[in-house]
Amino acid sequence: MSGSKQFRAAVVIGYMLSITWLRRNLLSLVWLFATPFSLLFIITVTTGGRSFALGVIGSLLLVLSTVGTGLAGDATWYRLETKLQDFFVASPVNQLGYLLGIAFAGLFFASPALVVLLPLLVYIGLPLIALPIVLLSLAGVWLFSSAIGYLVSTFTSNLRNGWQSGLLLSVLVGILPPVFYPAEILPHNILLVTYAIPTTNAALLIRDAMGSTPTLPYWSPLTGWLLIAVSLAIALAVTSRVARWRQP
Amino acid sequence: MNVIEAVSLSKIYHRSRTQALSDITLTIGRGEIFTLLGRNGAGKTTFLRIAATQLMPSKGRISVLGHDVRDEPLQIRSKIAVVPQEGSTIGPLTPWDHVYLTLLARGMSRNQAHERSEKTIERLELTEYRNQPADSLSGGLKQRVRVAMAVATDAELIFLDEPTLGLDAVTRRRIWGVLNEIQKEGRSILLTTHYIDEAEILSNNVAIIDHGKMVLSGSPAELLRNVKEHVRVDIVGSTFSEEELNNYGRVVKLAERFRVLTDDRLGRELADEALKRGSDVGLARVSLEDLFVDLVGRAEE
Repeated sequence: MSGSKQFRAAVVIGYMLSITWLRRNLLSLVWLFATPFSLLFIITVTTGGRSFALGVIGSLLLVLSTVGTGLAGDATWYRLETKLQDFFVASPVNQLGYLLGIAFAGLFFASPALVVLLPLLVYIGLPLIALPIVLLSLAGVWLFSSAIGYLVSTFTSNLRNGWQSGLLLSVLVGILPPVFYPAEILPHNILLVTYAIPTTNAALLIRDAMGSTPTLPYWSPLTGWLLIAVSLAIALAVTSRVARWRQP
Repeated sequence: MNVIEAVSLSKIYHRSRTQALSDITLTIGRGEIFTLLGRNGAGKTTFLRIAATQLMPSKGRISVLGHDVRDEPLQIRSKIAVVPQEGSTIGPLTPWDHVYLTLLARGMSRNQAHERSEKTIERLELTEYRNQPADSLSGGLKQRVRVAMAVATDAELIFLDEPTLGLDAVTRRRIWGVLNEIQKEGRSILLTTHYIDEAEILSNNVAIIDHGKMVLSGSPAELLRNVKEHVRVDIVGSTFSEEELNNYGRVVKLAERFRVLTDDRLGRELADEALKRGSDVGLARVSLEDLFVDLVGRAEE
C-alpha cells in the first residue's frame, strides 16, 4: 500500500479505536480528564492562582504524553487480548501505519481535553499567532510518547505489566519534568537531564510563546526545538528498528 | 499452482528452548481447504503464524503465494487475511464497525467496503446484531464477527487458527458453511483445529502434526487407507473379556466401553455376538479420529 493509503489506514484505525469507543463509552473521558485537571486544580489552589498558566501548560502536556505512553498498555491489549496487531500484521497495513493509527486513537481520545485547554491557554495570554508553535511542540510530545509507549508494548508479555509501564512512563514524561512547575527551581544537573525529555522543551517553548521566556543555562527556543527534534528522531528510529512487528 | 510450499521448516523458540516445529515439508494447492490437525501445543499455530508472516522461521524455506516468507513479507500481506486464535472483539464496536472499518483500513474504497460488509454480515447471519456493541454479544457471535473480518476481505488465502474453538455445534456448522462458500469463490484456506470431525468434513487435505513433527498428510480418504482395519465396533456394558475381544481385532479401552478395530466380516460377527449377549453395540466405518488417536497415542506411548 502506498504512503497515502497507509495514512488513510492510520486514520481509520485511529477512528475505530477511539471515536467509535467514545461515542458509546463517555465514561472514558473521565479517566483522561481526571489526573491533569486534578493537578491543575491543586496547583491553582495552592498557589492562589499565581501558577494557573503553568498548570494549564502542564495539563496540556500531561494529556498528550499520557495518551502516548498509555500505548504501552493499550497496544499490549491489542496484541495479546484482541489480537488486533496479528490481524494487521497479516494485512497490507505496515507497522508505521499501525503505530500512527493507535497513536491517532490516543490523540482523538485527547481531543475533548484539548478543546478545553487550548482556548484556555489563548484566554490567559497565548497570542493566536503563536498557536502553530504550541501545536507543533504538542505534536512532538505526542509522537515521542506514542513511539515510546508502542515500543515498550511490543516487549511486554502480559497486560498488567503493560498498564503499569504506561503509568510509569506517564509519570516520567508528563509529571516529573518541569511542566507543572518552573524549570528554574531545579538543581543544575537535574535540569540538564530534563532537557532530554521533549515535554520539558515543549513547556519552555509554550512559556516562551506566551511572552515569558525562561532564562536557563544552555537553553534557548532554538535549542528547545532542536532537542525536541533530536529526541523524536531517536525515539522513532529506535522504535522502527527495535519494535517487534513480526515476532522473532 | 501451490499457495504454500514449505520445505524442511523448523522453528525453535530460543527463550523457552522449545522446538515448536521440526522439518515440516508440505504443499497447499490453490483453492484448497487444508487443515493442520493436532493436539494443543502440537505446532499448528506456529506453522500458521510463520506462513502468515507473523513469526520468523528458524530453519528451512517457506513460500506463500509465490513469495518467500522471510524476504518478501510485504508482497504476501496484501493477499492474505487471518483470524488469530483466541482473540476477542473490541468492546463497544459493533459487528458492522469491526468488518467495515477493517476493510477500509486494508485500503478498500468506501463503496466496496460497504458492499462486502453487507454481504459478509448477511452470510454469517449477523444482520440482527449488526449494530449491537460487541461486548453485549455471546461468545459464538463474537467469533462469527472475527471470522467475518477476515472473510470479508478480498484475500486470496485466508488463515483461520482454531476458528471454532469452544463454539456450539450449530455455530460450528454455520462457520463451516461459510468456509465452503469462500472456497467455491476460488480462495484457499489454511485451517488449524483439534476437532477431527471438522478436519474430515471440511478439508481437501489434512496434515497431522504432533510434537512439532508432521506425522502424516493427504486427503482424509488417503489418510484412512493407512488404517489396516475398516470398521470399528463399540461395545458398552460388555460381557466380553479383553482377551476374547483380541480374537476379533485391535482393542482400545475407552472409559466404560471397548472399541474393536477390525475388518468387515469380523466386525459383523462381533456385533451379532454382542447383541446376543445383551450389550449395547455400535458398528461404523473407521474415521480420521481412529487414525489420529492411533498415531498420536502411539507416539505418546
